[in-house]
Amino acid sequence: MNALANGVGDIVRFENVGMRYRLGAEVLHDVSFSLPAGSFHFLTGPSGAGKSSLMRLMYLAHRPSRGSISMFGRDVSTVPRTELAALRRRIGVVFQDFRLIDHLSALDNVALPLRVAGAKEGQIRNHVAELLKWVGLESQIDDKPTTLSGGEQQRVAIARAVIARPQILLADEPTGNVDDDIAIRLMYLLEELNKIGTTVVVATHNESLIERFKHPCFHVEDGLLSGPGVGVRNDRDPGGDQ
Amino acid sequence: MIGQVRDVPLSGDPASRYLPWTVGLLVFLATLAFAAGMFLASAGDTWRQDLSGTLTVQIPVSDKADRLEQVNAVAELLRTTPGVVFVRPIPDAEIAVLLEPWLGKQVLELELPMPDLIDVSVARAADIDIAALSARLAQVAPGTVVDDHAIWLRRLTEFTLIAETISFAVMIVILISAVATVVFTTRTGLAIHSDVVEVLHLIGAQDSYVARQFQNHTLRLASAGAAVGFLLGAGIIWLAHVYGGKLSGGLLPELALGPGQWALLAALPVAAVLLVVLTVGITVKRVLGKMM
Repeated sequence: MNALANGVGDIVRFENVGMRYRLGAEVLHDVSFSLPAGSFHFLTGPSGAGKSSLMRLMYLAHRPSRGSISMFGRDVSTVPRTELAALRRRIGVVFQDFRLIDHLSALDNVALPLRVAGAKEGQIRNHVAELLKWVGLESQIDDKPTTLSGGEQQRVAIARAVIARPQILLADEPTGNVDDDIAIRLMYLLEELNKIGTTVVVATHNESLIERFKHPCFHVEDGLLSGPGVGVRNDRDPGGDQ
Repeated sequence: MIGQVRDVPLSGDPASRYLPWTVGLLVFLATLAFAAGMFLASAGDTWRQDLSGTLTVQIPVSDKADRLEQVNAVAELLRTTPGVVFVRPIPDAEIAVLLEPWLGKQVLELELPMPDLIDVSVARAADIDIAALSARLAQVAPGTVVDDHAIWLRRLTEFTLIAETISFAVMIVILISAVATVVFTTRTGLAIHSDVVEVLHLIGAQDSYVARQFQNHTLRLASAGAAVGFLLGAGIIWLAHVYGGKLSGGLLPELALGPGQWALLAALPVAAVLLVVLTVGITVKRVLGKMM
């Protein structure tokens, strides 16, 4: 189960991490792995196995109950709260349910990471419009999420996740609500981002995608980062390059 | 404050809808309480200034023939008393003015038996033995009474101080109520919009960015409410000034605030809004502080 690598320049590094919600049972046990910069990984496992919990730890939504997590070479347990926000801005997240803000237009949703980072309004519109064009939503720039289809919402979510050029992109079941064609287009989009240096982790159930796009694969089951999935598909080192 | 886009949709919140009314009402009450406190403080000062170092000597009703002689004798004795700096027998017409609120304008025509009064000022440092003075005056004019204002002035001062303290305490309680209301409204807003707040948090918003969303919203609502509350309160104070003088019959100092006091009063809604906005910021940051 241990995909830990000792490479310098790991974007993510988990060491013996355990996680529980409040006083509940532990949902992740002794998770240890690392992700080198520029890598692309799948994360698979049955529902409730702990994929989303692992993603939550990586996008700094939750503290581990034990073990240590380093992001960008910094132990997150020692990072002051004010600096955690800056660390989060280096992480792009595509949430499972997109989590777009309904009263904001597609443009304003995508602009959020730039606004919270203090970018000037004058620069935001052009930059966001360019990205929405890249994901094929140039004509829906002022539309509210509720008027967009599932696939369009998903592309807005991806645009929001990458607008601030994060060093790592975490996508939790990004293809869960779209048909196969859109899922494949989405994967090409993520691969393009990966080619320009973004580390990508995609949590998915979609076996056909995993078969089609040959990237290292982690498997989570019963809170353990292990199982037949890793053994079968992990013909390359999960912590190694692609 | 921050940009035009409101990331957290607070405008439609039911709790927010009542915020301007609540803040307006509380500022209205606080304005009246603060004005009352300042008025009582001024009135106390006026009374102290008017009455400290003064005595009133009251010579009982006597024969018309002896009356002037007695008054002059008492006045003369007072003038020779060490520490006395001013002695003035009060004319009947002036006494009539003092009695006018109770007996009407024709008080002199009624030919009522009225005591003679002598207004006396004493030096601030003087320590006059009132009992001894009374005894000496009684030898000249039997039944003469020395009314030492210091005694009731002390009681009056105590009363105004208590009333003043109560007024300011009421104002503080009102401001605390405003703070409690705003804490509740803010927490409700955070609970309603927890999903949006979490997204902002996870995409790297500092707590202060999220807090400013709530603060800007509250600033708009609270400013409108505070302005209306203050204007209503100021209107009532002005009406009290206009009509209060007619009602007090000269017993109370004028129900008016000076320019400095008006400036302080005008600072109250500003301070209330700042307090409310500060409270919102602290509340949001405390709630967000529980997130990683």
